[in-house]
Amino acid sequence: MVDLIRAVSGAIIALALGSGLAAADTLATVKQRGSLICGVSTGLIGFSERAADGKWSGFDVDFCRALAAATLGSPDKVAFVPVSASERFEALSQRRIDVLSRNTTWTLQREAEFGFLFAGINFHDGQGFMVHRDSNITSALEIGDRSTCVQAGTSGEALAADFFRENNVPAKLRVLPDAPSTLAAFARKDCEVMTTDQSGLYAERLKLERPASAVILPDVISKEPLGPVTRADDVRWHMVVKWVNFALIGAEELGVTSQNVREARTSTKPDVRRFVGAEGGLGPRLGLAEDWAAQAVLAVGNYSEIYERNVGTRSRLGIPRGLNQLWSQGGIMYAPPVR
Amino acid sequence: MSKRRADRSAWLRRGFAGLAMLLSCLSAAAQMPRETLDIGDEPGRVSTEEVVIEDGPYARQVVFFRSQEAPGTVVVHTSERFLYLVMPGNRALRYGIGVGRDGFTWSGLVKVSRKAEWPDWTPPPEMIQRQPYLPRFMAGGPGNPMGSRALYLGSTVYRIHGTNQPETIGHAISSGCFRLANGDVIDLFTRVPVGTKVVIRHGPSI
Repeated sequence: MVDLIRAVSGAIIALALGSGLAAADTLATVKQRGSLICGVSTGLIGFSERAADGKWSGFDVDFCRALAAATLGSPDKVAFVPVSASERFEALSQRRIDVLSRNTTWTLQREAEFGFLFAGINFHDGQGFMVHRDSNITSALEIGDRSTCVQAGTSGEALAADFFRENNVPAKLRVLPDAPSTLAAFARKDCEVMTTDQSGLYAERLKLERPASAVILPDVISKEPLGPVTRADDVRWHMVVKWVNFALIGAEELGVTSQNVREARTSTKPDVRRFVGAEGGLGPRLGLAEDWAAQAVLAVGNYSEIYERNVGTRSRLGIPRGLNQLWSQGGIMYAPPVR
Repeated sequence: MSKRRADRSAWLRRGFAGLAMLLSCLSAAAQMPRETLDIGDEPGRVSTEEVVIEDGPYARQVVFFRSQEAPGTVVVHTSERFLYLVMPGNRALRYGIGVGRDGFTWSGLVKVSRKAEWPDWTPPPEMIQRQPYLPRFMAGGPGNPMGSRALYLGSTVYRIHGTNQPETIGHAISSGCFRLANGDVIDLFTRVPVGTKVVIRHGPSI
């Protein structure tokens, strides 16, 4: 498999060098190749994990499978390329990957300066707080003068300091060199509070001797919108990636699941019929098959199924939907209509 | 008495007697998610009031929750298997629930009309038909499938209640409405007065 990835990515680089930017047609390349090359993180619980048998799973991985299903009709026609935080952007701009699906925060600089486009948001992360259950704290405003541990060199340090200052919380920040020492300090109660991104807190909590002895507060004090990224020079491909993301969210809203997507073809609801390609002819306008969205949902389920299986109630992480709940259910997850 | 039965198919076979009474249940069966835990009631099995869901996603916890409903309102999301007690400031106290067949039959707004501790249980005729081994009446107590507390919803047959089968929390189950572990329903009971608004929501259907 690794050889295949090497050969394929080598071919792409050659293609890119030979043809230049003007010829960028990633969708055509993917179809011709018969497989999607997806950049994922090197290993992040719930988001991208590689099992001993080489099989990838996770929230970010499932997006790649959905994209492969929508473009190629099969969730298995995808090669995963693990990329570290420092090499991910180079991998994308140098065309070693077709899409980056790796908990990456959408910022101005990453679009305007690096020449990328974010294809939407599929996970609203943000900085949160974890406390010991017996402290009975239920809000970040109740932290008071307790000591709060944070990892050095992360944006969390400044953000927490700002938050405490703005809200007149006299908390004492304790800065630790790395993630393990931060968790260890929390575990032995050297600090009563620990702060980092919410997804990170849920992952770290699992490493405690008794995870239930710690509580993650619902407060989110910063914006870390995560989503898939494409190169900005190929808007056609960008649109495909963007609408696959929208389709997964839209499917949840319509009630289309991996279980009922086949029956959905006989639905009497126009929205549902258009979504699964029973009418409307929308897929071909993206350069895809009529049933592109149905294929994506059949492969990995709708947004809710993907979320709950990988990071939600059916996963070890158990992260509540929170901001990632649909807009109609109190969250901010919103997708324009497929019509 | 701890016999488990694949009662749903048996019930479907027996079919259509008492059609009017069963109509709501039938539509429920059609809508019910496929992972329904086909577990019959187990009267006599003891679960005490101390039992709470302690760990994992179905443990009682404060979560981010924005709602147009006023603080104090109870919101039941059947497809999520969660019950939310709305709190001020975009949050809610969330409880894991099990949702029974009758829990899927009705959505909208009701009010808590009555509260009872260790409620008695009179299984309705359609339930007796599904699970003929059930008693015709059972006094309240730790072995009662209604569990430690019940919140009766409006003038309907729907209720939020405890259970003597705490392992069914997080699942769709074959009978009952909305069940919480006994310790959790006691916690909810102390926070929710008679007259509280209860909003019941299902996931969308194709």
